[in-house]
Amino acid sequence: MALLELNRLSFRYPESSVDALRSISLEIPEASYVAIVGKNGSGKSTLLRLLNGLRLPSSGSVKVRGLDTASQENLHRIRSDLCLVFQSPPDQLVSSVVEEDVAFGPENLGLAPEEVRRRVDDALRRVGLEEERRRPTGFLSAGQQQRLAVAGALAMKPRCVAFDEATSMLDPAARVAILDLMDDLVSRGIAVIHVTHDMSEAARARRILVLEKGNLVFDGSPDALFGSDSDDFCAEDSLYPRAIAFGLDLPPAVSLALQLGLRPIARENAQGIAARIAGNFHAFPSGALRTVGPGATAPGIALLGSEASGTARPGAAASNWPLRASVTGTIPIPEAQSPAFVLEGASYVYLKATTNERKAISGLSFELPRGATLALVGRTGSGKSTALQLMNALAAPTSGKVLSFGIETTDKNADLKRLRTRAPLAIQRPESALFETYAGDDVAFGPRNLGLFGPRLIERVKKWMDAVALPYEAWRDRPIRSLSGGEKRKLVLAGVFALESDALLLDEPTSALDPAAKAELLGLLSAIGSSGKTLVTATHSMEEAARADFIAVFSGGDLAAFGSPAYVFYDAYDPAWEIGKPFAACVTEELKRQGFAFGGPSASGCERPLDLTSLISLLMRTMPSPETVPPPAAGIPLTAETALPPAAAMVGLQAGGGSA
Amino acid sequence: MKNLEFFKNLSIGQYIDSGSKIHAFSASTKYLMLACLALPALVAPTFFGTLLSGFAALFIASASGVRPLFLIRGIKPALPLFFVAAFLQFLFGWQGDESPVFFKLGPIAATAREAWIALMVVARTASMILVLGLFTALTTEGEAARGIEEAFAPLSKIGVKAHRLSLSVVMALRFVPIVTGELEALAKAQASRGADFGSGKGGPLKKARAYLPLFVPVTIRALERAELLAEAMEARCYSGEGRTRYVRPRPSFGEIVFRLASIAFCAALLAVDVLIIRAWIRPW
Repeated sequence: MALLELNRLSFRYPESSVDALRSISLEIPEASYVAIVGKNGSGKSTLLRLLNGLRLPSSGSVKVRGLDTASQENLHRIRSDLCLVFQSPPDQLVSSVVEEDVAFGPENLGLAPEEVRRRVDDALRRVGLEEERRRPTGFLSAGQQQRLAVAGALAMKPRCVAFDEATSMLDPAARVAILDLMDDLVSRGIAVIHVTHDMSEAARARRILVLEKGNLVFDGSPDALFGSDSDDFCAEDSLYPRAIAFGLDLPPAVSLALQLGLRPIARENAQGIAARIAGNFHAFPSGALRTVGPGATAPGIALLGSEASGTARPGAAASNWPLRASVTGTIPIPEAQSPAFVLEGASYVYLKATTNERKAISGLSFELPRGATLALVGRTGSGKSTALQLMNALAAPTSGKVLSFGIETTDKNADLKRLRTRAPLAIQRPESALFETYAGDDVAFGPRNLGLFGPRLIERVKKWMDAVALPYEAWRDRPIRSLSGGEKRKLVLAGVFALESDALLLDEPTSALDPAAKAELLGLLSAIGSSGKTLVTATHSMEEAARADFIAVFSGGDLAAFGSPAYVFYDAYDPAWEIGKPFAACVTEELKRQGFAFGGPSASGCERPLDLTSLISLLMRTMPSPETVPPPAAGIPLTAETALPPAAAMVGLQAGGGSA
Repeated sequence: MKNLEFFKNLSIGQYIDSGSKIHAFSASTKYLMLACLALPALVAPTFFGTLLSGFAALFIASASGVRPLFLIRGIKPALPLFFVAAFLQFLFGWQGDESPVFFKLGPIAATAREAWIALMVVARTASMILVLGLFTALTTEGEAARGIEEAFAPLSKIGVKAHRLSLSVVMALRFVPIVTGELEALAKAQASRGADFGSGKGGPLKKARAYLPLFVPVTIRALERAELLAEAMEARCYSGEGRTRYVRPRPSFGEIVFRLASIAFCAALLAVDVLIIRAWIRPW
């Protein structure tokens, strides 16, 4: 008997005129590991709620271990067999104390107190929260709260745990912990269903379902979706993985492999692809890398070692911003410009002099030039959001000082309204930042406070709603409650952009957006950054952080490092920060570790790539001439299984912008 | 500039685990304490009984490792309510009120009796905030629910749904911090876009007016959060019936003494206030 059986399942929300899910039929066996992907609004979360009987099908049926969810008397059993872990950690905790929250489910099952206690102990041990059992749930980090939610599910002794974008609001370390937990569950015979927008996470599953506008458009293995066992991969009419046809992102290793003309492998990590690059370098159209053997000269290595710690953003002004690689160092500012933000020993204690007093940041010092972009990275609770609030003058430092465009935020004569609207902040949870009934009114709130009214106000609102792809005419009168999570996030940003301020402070603006919406937003932010606005963004994505001029790394409320992305990820990087690295940096480091050197006759400029385009460009630039190419010394030998046909290789290279 | 930290002045609904012996008492003992402190705060005829129950709450807080200042701060958000209550007392006179008139302004007359009642309302509210803050600082939501279920279990024979009652009370307590958090987030979102919060400028009326636009969105957000919470509970098999209890503690000797002391305190306070203090003060 299958764990889950869906038979022509359709679902339509009462207030809607279209189906959220259409005629879906599939079976999921016990101990499966299934990922569900698709754009925002494609029906993923709805499907999960149907699996566990929180919603009932409009037509068709859902059976969990043979029990139909439509039957009320089955629900108790179904919900103990199939547990859900939701996206937002605080919204799913029903008790204020850790162990009581875990006990909630078993208590509802009517188990004996001794059995409940046994299950609580076991579940807490498995997620590593034994030490926190008497702590209030509100004081756990987001990652801990999510692990607690998993513990609550495990205490039910389920046959399946379904995760609804459960990693989207977590920092990289917490995300890895949850993903490892999923692997652990599968190894113990508990099925995992994982809804995600992250294709690297999806590729970890054994099976992937792709939903598109409520239809199941793909059901197969990660390799069939992203990689090499797709029958279509080398077909004449399609040289790309099927994922591209569905408008999905690709895991970075797949993307890199494609651009290098290697056969994509869905679950490949940085080490794997680096080994294949190393093993196949001689077979690239003109070769790309060379080994560093005994006695061989290594100009690439020398180049890497000699490069300055700071790099500048392309552009005339940016080239004047050399950095000192010090956590407390400041950036020399060109004389003509005063900095956008100056923090001098700024500290902040949350709920000072109360029982719940907590140090948020301490002794924060840096200066940010006008027009620069800064990414704040660090684990959840490391002080990023607090730093943004200090810069926005929403919070006054408990010691030290903060200057926003030359004005000290705690100055009694400072015009707070002016300070705040000059550098407005888009807070992290969009649903808590929207307060009007209709979308257009919410965007108009800021400009109206600045004194705009009539046609000028409408023009301003229209401009920025259009810019975030919520066209004014179609969206202005939409009730905010009816918007999806991604649409709400865009609306919050439109409201902040509409102030047309000198700086923007954005707290995790892309979290929980689907890849297409994320790419759209990053493009818009890039355009805003290029227009000379100062942009400060807190993010858990190192790929996004690497796009900024500067990165500030927070660790336990302290500024652990401040500098250019290349400096942070190559020179100063400390694994103890637990922030991860951009994939391109991981591959580069791995290649170096394997003894390969970049460089070559045509190499110049920055040799520390932070994105795939730069990495490929570097590989192409540093190709040795054919006569100096040595035989392969390491890695996977080039075989028919790992190399693409020449035509595919050429297409891949052209797609990556490289030239042979 | 004032920091927009609404939790700083919130005591009700915040459990504080100091690991004290009083924390370890059963829910029924804590409910008994709540009743013995709340009764004088609500029905004592003079300030003596009302305020003394508030002071007792501060004493127990101190003994259980909860800072008394934490509870006192909880009174601050209710200050505007005190003004409104006093205003209403003066606005609507009492029939047959022959107490001295302090001043008269149009239809509003402030008499000694009205002033007394207004002050009693303030004292009762303040004491209740201290008592409720103490109770929630010592009691987790699970304990609170179990306590109500235990207390009302005998009434199930006449159709009283104890689990529903306990759920209502527990959710009401749980939503105090949730609503506070939403209020803080919305105030910050509006302030960031030019609304006047935290500037410290303007009188109390202007400050109060700034918060008015927040009530509707906060209410909507609270309802949305309630929906999410209900969904999370439903997903974990909550139906209210057939639940077991995670812990079933037996009262220790110290706990029994605490129960008796609570009852004795309540009885003594009311007796002294009704029989002696009231006769001595003779309010209007």
